[in-house]
Amino acid sequence: MLRKYERFLTWETLLFVLLVVIVGINALQTPFYLRLENQINLFQLSIEKIIVALIMTFIIINAEIDLSVASIMGLAACTTSYLWLHKVPMEWCVLGGLLSGVAAGLFNGFMVARVGLPSLVVTLAGMIGFRGLARVLLEDRSVGEFPAWFNNLGQQPILGPFPLALIIFFILLVIAIIILQYSGFGRLVYVIGNNKDVARFSGVKVEQVKMTLYIASGFVAALAGLLYTSRLGAVRGDTALGFELDVITMVLLGGVSIFGGSGSIWGVLLSILIILNLRNGMGLANISGNTQTGVIGVLLILSVFLPNIAREVRNFWNRRMYVHRSHTQTTEDTKGG
Amino acid sequence: MEKQTPVFQMKHISKRFDTTQALDDVSMDLYPGEIHALLGENGAGKSTLIKIMTGIYSPDEGDLLLDGKTIRLNSSVEAQDFGIAAIYQEPMVFPDLNVAENIFITHRSRGLLMNWGKLYEDAEAILAKLGVKLDVRMPARGLTLAAQQTVEIAKAISLKVRVLIMDEPTASLSAHEVRQLFKLTYSLRDQGVSILFISHRMEEIFEIADRVTVFRDGKHISTRPRAEVTQESCIQDMVGRKVEDFFVKNSSPRSDLFLSAHGLGRKGVFEGLNFDVFRGEVLGFAGLVGSGRTNVGLALFGIEPADSGEIKVNGKLEIVRSPEQALKLGIAYMTEDRRQIGLTMTMSITSNISLPMLLRQYLTRMGLVKHKAETITANQFRERLNIRTTNVEQQVGRLSGGNQQKVMLSKWLNARPQLLILDEPTRGIDVGAKAEVHQLINELAAQGLSIIMISSDMPEVLAMSDRILVMREGRQMAIFNRSEATQKKVLTAAMGAVPHFEVDDEKESEMEKPA
Repeated sequence: MLRKYERFLTWETLLFVLLVVIVGINALQTPFYLRLENQINLFQLSIEKIIVALIMTFIIINAEIDLSVASIMGLAACTTSYLWLHKVPMEWCVLGGLLSGVAAGLFNGFMVARVGLPSLVVTLAGMIGFRGLARVLLEDRSVGEFPAWFNNLGQQPILGPFPLALIIFFILLVIAIIILQYSGFGRLVYVIGNNKDVARFSGVKVEQVKMTLYIASGFVAALAGLLYTSRLGAVRGDTALGFELDVITMVLLGGVSIFGGSGSIWGVLLSILIILNLRNGMGLANISGNTQTGVIGVLLILSVFLPNIAREVRNFWNRRMYVHRSHTQTTEDTKGG
Repeated sequence: MEKQTPVFQMKHISKRFDTTQALDDVSMDLYPGEIHALLGENGAGKSTLIKIMTGIYSPDEGDLLLDGKTIRLNSSVEAQDFGIAAIYQEPMVFPDLNVAENIFITHRSRGLLMNWGKLYEDAEAILAKLGVKLDVRMPARGLTLAAQQTVEIAKAISLKVRVLIMDEPTASLSAHEVRQLFKLTYSLRDQGVSILFISHRMEEIFEIADRVTVFRDGKHISTRPRAEVTQESCIQDMVGRKVEDFFVKNSSPRSDLFLSAHGLGRKGVFEGLNFDVFRGEVLGFAGLVGSGRTNVGLALFGIEPADSGEIKVNGKLEIVRSPEQALKLGIAYMTEDRRQIGLTMTMSITSNISLPMLLRQYLTRMGLVKHKAETITANQFRERLNIRTTNVEQQVGRLSGGNQQKVMLSKWLNARPQLLILDEPTRGIDVGAKAEVHQLINELAAQGLSIIMISSDMPEVLAMSDRILVMREGRQMAIFNRSEATQKKVLTAAMGAVPHFEVDDEKESEMEKPA
């Protein structure tokens, strides 16, 4: 009887309940809350981080980390602006920006997958190094006055009420779900995250998978950096500074294990929705940004803490069930494992 | 053994974990100066008993009595204070401390300043009492596994041990080291220590034990003096059913050559290996732990590629540099280390079995996983190898050791290799599962699969192999035909009693007994 419900006692369920509660409270607070414009707006304010969170999910499930994503966003934005300052046509500037991200990802991937250095150190160095490079490119300048078509991409809706960044997010979300949850590559990401020696001893090309992930991470971060540029219409050396921690928070809150091997895009999607709605709701209730950040921090601690409690509860049910069963059928044989 | 009062008694001990009754009304007496063997399949409750005896778990019901008085143990420190200690398969020494420091590590009241002179003197005295020569100033890091175990035993003695539990102490030792451990054990017994000895190796138990107790499914089945037990009666008690002689070997006729190695070597690890593997043959790799057998396996599988010599597969010269490549050539390697490099413990049986073939066999054209096909494969193997589980989506980590071993076998059989290298295929699994694995190896060989079986279990190597290659310190010492191989010959070669043996280039070096 109880075992039927036990299945649903997962982290994702808890997140879903939390999301419903938050949205419910917000909707009661203000009638505008559930309007499409508000929902789009709420996505739009963090859209770049959300996009990067998708690829970060892959990397953390793979038992690695990429701390350099925000610096790559900055680097891509600054590379694009630098080229624009030097009278390169904007299309080529965008391409240059994306390529800078791919190059940065290639560097991370080479150091982690080939050389075998710990990703925490490599990408910490990348975080400092790529940011430094971005600042060298622009020095103290703030670059703006991009072509109108470029700014419009970030600021105007292009399909119904939806702006480009949101559409890109949805496309990437579907791709991420298919690849991570249903494809062979996704399976390898999980296996390597669980135990990369098992993967290697099974003939899996571990290097190749890690390399692919870091290059993809560099590319996606660069794309996010450019979307950010077009939304703000201006770039400085410190563009997207500190975004990496928000991104990692979204992923971990979504139930992805920091040790790799478990978690899902679904959980991360729920955690993104929770963070967005929580911040928006608190904003509507005039709660300051600093307090909002504090609340997110508490949530993150709970995300590590609660699954353990959930497990205890499950064990408790199991024990109860056993007692129940052994009363009814006394001589049931239970073999030890 | 004269009748005395037992030093340690367990009366009606029960312990339950969640839904598992690990121990069910178990009673046992241990007498001073006896070696008491404890036998049972995996999951029979042996480990739980040890943990209760050493104060790690407390029993749900029942009493522990020391010298007839009830005691309560709340921690392993308290157990040590009562003179109850345990040593395990993997010794737990501090690698950077020296031998003497390791021996006295648990002594808490040795004053503010170390009296090094006395420490070394005391350590030497204890080792002398055991009849062991070890440099007490040597860091434990440099010691062999067997020597580390000796240090653990010395540590137990320094604590005035009265009851010593030895949990599979011989599992990682070579035959020679097992001898020495037995000598030590006898000397402890003669000093009046009561020893609870746990091992999966039947012949060891018959050699060393004074009494034999068998557990099954958490219950005490029998306790008898050694003279009254036979191997058959023990197995009967353990599995509760008749097990036929589990070493049946239908010698397979040699047909055509699959792989041959000439002068194979890897710098600093092994050198000069010359051997052939024929289709349908089991080539046993015997030798002491650390003789380089596993490294040869890893070289053939491309994990640690060979850097000299050559490998011919089907008569064609091949250089194996990676596992992917080895798999394409039809070579698979099943590790001895199930937990660390064999299986992903938190993933399902299905995804573990399909892993080596995932990209070649279980993907749609779009690159998506064919989950149905995977599940079908897993269920086929579950039936064929008798993997005991309710569901193939079960996490591998929740299976018993024997069933995990079968999942690992399934994983590699599914890759349809032509040569399967099995590294310690039956280590740490219970007799029932072991017999099933042996049966399977015979069947596979009969179907034409070549098998290299690396094993430290001498009876297993002798019984299962068509030919036996013996290694010692990275060198090939001999290849014996099944008919000529005896335990004595193999051991002699493995332990290097042949001082200047030159490796013969012939395919079958007929090895004569040393002068």
